[in-house]
Amino acid sequence: MLAVMAIISGFGLGSMYGLLALGFSLTYTVSNTVNFAQGSSMMLGAVLCYTFAVTMKWHMASSIVLPLLLCAIWGVVVERFTVRPFVRRGSSAWLMATLALGIVLENAVLFTFGKEPRSLPSSLAARPLSIAGLGVYPLQLLIPFMGLLMALALHLVFRCTLRGKAWLAVVQNPDAAQLMGINVTGTIAVAYAVSSVFAGGAGMLIAPLFNVSSDMGTLFGIKAFAVAILGGITSAWGVMLAGCSYGIIEALITALFGSPYTNVVTFTLVIIALTCMPHGLFGRAGVKKV
Amino acid sequence: MTCLRWAGIVGLLGLTLTFCFVSNSYQVFLVALVGLTTMVGVGLNVLFGLSGQISLGQVGFYAIGAYTSAILTTTVGTSFWLALPLAVLLAGLIGTVLALPALRVTGPYLAMVTIAFGFIIEHGAVEWRGLTGGASGLMNIALPSAFGYLFDDRDVAALIVGCGAIVLWLFWRLSVSPWGLALRAVRDAEVAAQSLGLNPLVLRTVAFTLSAAAAGLAGALFAPLTTFVSPSAFPFVQSILFLLVVIIGGAGVVFGPLIGSALIVLLPEYLSSLAEYRLLFFGALLLGVLWLAPGGMAGAIGNRLRRRSPHRVRPSDGIDVLAWLRQGTHGQVLKVEGLSLAFGGVRAVADVAFTARSGQITSLIGPNGAGKTTVLNVLSGFYTPDVGSVTLGGQHVLGRPSHAIARLGMARTYQTSQLFPTLSVLENLLIALQRGRLGTLLTVRGDVRHEGELVQLAAGLLAFVGYDGALERPAGGLAHVDKRVVEIARALATQPRVLLLDEPAAGLGPCDIERLGKLLRQVADADIAVVLVEHHMPLVMSLSDHVVVLDAGRVIAAGSPAQVRQDEAVRKAYLGERRHRELARPATGGTRQKCVLMVQQLSAGYGVAPVLEGVDLTVHTREMITVLGANGAGKSTLMRALSGLHRPVRGVVQLDRQDITTSTAHRIASAGLILVPEGRQVFPELTVLDNIRLGAYCRRGFDASQDLEPMLARFPALKPRLQARAGLLSGGEQQMLAIARGLVARPMLLLLDEPSLGLAPTLIDTLFGVLAELREAGITVLLVDQRVDLALAVADRGYVLQNGRIVHEGSVADIHNDAALERAYLGEFG
Repeated sequence: MLAVMAIISGFGLGSMYGLLALGFSLTYTVSNTVNFAQGSSMMLGAVLCYTFAVTMKWHMASSIVLPLLLCAIWGVVVERFTVRPFVRRGSSAWLMATLALGIVLENAVLFTFGKEPRSLPSSLAARPLSIAGLGVYPLQLLIPFMGLLMALALHLVFRCTLRGKAWLAVVQNPDAAQLMGINVTGTIAVAYAVSSVFAGGAGMLIAPLFNVSSDMGTLFGIKAFAVAILGGITSAWGVMLAGCSYGIIEALITALFGSPYTNVVTFTLVIIALTCMPHGLFGRAGVKKV
Repeated sequence: MTCLRWAGIVGLLGLTLTFCFVSNSYQVFLVALVGLTTMVGVGLNVLFGLSGQISLGQVGFYAIGAYTSAILTTTVGTSFWLALPLAVLLAGLIGTVLALPALRVTGPYLAMVTIAFGFIIEHGAVEWRGLTGGASGLMNIALPSAFGYLFDDRDVAALIVGCGAIVLWLFWRLSVSPWGLALRAVRDAEVAAQSLGLNPLVLRTVAFTLSAAAAGLAGALFAPLTTFVSPSAFPFVQSILFLLVVIIGGAGVVFGPLIGSALIVLLPEYLSSLAEYRLLFFGALLLGVLWLAPGGMAGAIGNRLRRRSPHRVRPSDGIDVLAWLRQGTHGQVLKVEGLSLAFGGVRAVADVAFTARSGQITSLIGPNGAGKTTVLNVLSGFYTPDVGSVTLGGQHVLGRPSHAIARLGMARTYQTSQLFPTLSVLENLLIALQRGRLGTLLTVRGDVRHEGELVQLAAGLLAFVGYDGALERPAGGLAHVDKRVVEIARALATQPRVLLLDEPAAGLGPCDIERLGKLLRQVADADIAVVLVEHHMPLVMSLSDHVVVLDAGRVIAAGSPAQVRQDEAVRKAYLGERRHRELARPATGGTRQKCVLMVQQLSAGYGVAPVLEGVDLTVHTREMITVLGANGAGKSTLMRALSGLHRPVRGVVQLDRQDITTSTAHRIASAGLILVPEGRQVFPELTVLDNIRLGAYCRRGFDASQDLEPMLARFPALKPRLQARAGLLSGGEQQMLAIARGLVARPMLLLLDEPSLGLAPTLIDTLFGVLAELREAGITVLLVDQRVDLALAVADRGYVLQNGRIVHEGSVADIHNDAALERAYLGEFG
């Protein structure tokens, strides 16, 4: 029973890792760069939702849509100021720059939002449903549903639409893509915006179950990055699969051995996995050109 | 280092030590903290500053050092002076072990491994209560004692300052030793470093170990300083701060970590009211440094200091470079037999065989895409062929890693210069002179750059190749011709038996090419086997003892230059047979056709050197225009400038009276100017069908029947491959695909850049047919191709480009009879 509960909650949490990791995957697929501080985007979504819904008491609909919009704008800001200037120079300092901007955001939120973790009430996490004798919150079903839906959406866009193909083309051959009339810089900016929306959305979905605070995103973001790498970063399904697996393994270890060992074991597994498969479960090695 | 600088440093050290005993406890603690942070920073400086790898897990090694020292001195009761080295050793050992997974990955993946490591240590410390005291940590850590005297906190602080100074000194010794140079070389250009005999894996592992050991040392000293060690002292954000210390101070600079640490530790103290905001401030500071001063603060100061003290070296006349080079060769013969290699579906090299004798210049020539660079890459160990053998003096070469092949005596230069840009010219050569044998870690002999014999040798080699500039100039800032000759000097510095040269004359003017020829002759006279891949026919024909001609991956002719020049197959492959029937030219009538493209005084370049100068060009509706010229004349740059890929350009470019001089490439494509770029630039992971559909992306109306069917009718070879990934097609099929993709856009003006590149003769016929069809259909085309016969058979008018200028313009008949054109392509015929 304990194991089954663990699997259910782990599946939910894991699909959140996966959703965050989809953001990594999207930007990496299009530009070979990521927002290393994706966790802070997630935190931003949750904090904004709390601010609009609880502090300002706005309608729930606008408290969901507006933060997503603001997260999209944040994504464009991240790309414009912490990724593009360095990629243009051919430097890989975007890694440190995105991290730095994440630190700035987290601390800015800390000083405006305060140190106290707040709880975000949600009708979906108020009363548990009874499914097969287990108490499950509706939110715990919605979360994996959203995660899988997003993965499916990404997969379909890239496989079946011409615009998706155009996006894939951008990273395969940026010059040729431009010659096809594809706006390469615009595409990358949009990718970052969508990636931020995924993160913010994940934050809002998770917030009722965990608490909203300025540092809620850090560990989450790091685990999501591990998930993205393990899943092979360019494969939407691989990343989602890795996320769900990671969540389930985490939950099982916590249930069976106790929570203290969770992080140690999972991070060790990450290192071992990367040692054996430097390109992740579904990744492919690039061709070395001399 | 001058006496004044030494005096200053010693003085500062003395002052700091005195401070430890004189001022109040808290300030002493701060100074000690600066010292500890500096030590970790120095370790990170080796890893990030010299070797270019990011680690976000240094706090893990810091914690290992602290806990080891605390546990050994307090729980086990060992002397501090034994615990310290043991802690350093353990941290270093764990660093080596972590290097195993860490070095198989790069960039963000490496960051992930180090982050994971940091978290494992932090959480592990919390959980392993029996050893580490869990979350509450270890208290009352024993203080060190020496000769019966028990240290107090000030003594520990003074010890830390002393150790910090020693660590800084050690870093300085490392950075000027051959190891330091080698680390930077591997960071700058890993491929070139391997071809000089350096093993990147070993070097990076050493860097990792050293950085771990330095952090471990700092941690081991942290324990007695605070007498309290707990997991809360080692959070993840601390790793970011350590990296910040190095970046702000200046990566790779000796005093960088010191400046960075002072800033990070002391600044919040002196702005105590804002101490809460320190993380916010540091985040913003990091962003600021990355944007504005990537070299860090010490880096900017350091640059200024270095400029003030140039070290001029004059080569003594006693160095006989030729004799020294002859020492390395033993009359060895390079024999290549039956080499075959395929990439995916493309056969790059098929059954290639030739012999290069010492003292002779053997040239590999052939059209673009013939496989010449691939052969060189196989010889230097970067590709492994499917079949074949390569022996040097009887020793088998294949199957060894490239750095091992380099140590056997195979040296090479590259198509695009692979000098180490952040290192000086002298340092580039000094690395090569080590030939992969780096000696002990810390040089005892002194700054390798002042090492008399090696420096003299380097200077002699540079003079030998004709470089007369300053030795201390960073190699990245050299003029093009200097880069070429310095790269040759660097290759010679390994005392090679074989020298492989990949298009050394590219981008050189006639005077420089002549000098290059003389140089290569001298190199051959030193009994080195020279293998030359070149396009410049006059150079090849005048210089070579033996010529091997490749076409589509096979050897089609081999022999002396005279024999090869007369060979029918060679003429067909290079200049073409002129057997393509001339197309009937449409009567132009009296009226002037509409001008589709007008180019006036177009100038473009890369950096200082202009590649195109004052180019004037017009294309009218339904015309087929060709631009001819030798390699390096500027044809590709012209195409890139017209299509918007190369910006900025000077002059005026008008497409149908719309000014596109400053437009970006995707807008120009939407306006109707479509470029089919050089080199089959398909999207390799997408299917053939998707590639074609993307061709119509700019006009957003792809109709399968109207657009796809005509393409498949024109290029029937694509029909069965519609669902295959474009990267797996053969070279010829990819070229057809690229053209189809361009046509689907229904361009107002179609630019074709080297469409015949790498096509076998039969496919050239197909291409000719396609061009003829385009003529009939009245599509306006601007064609650039190295197959002169092809271009002249289909075009109405032509321009001849030489050294970036239009030297001839006229009808095709004029150009046909122009001897100047032949000269430009094949060199003087006897």
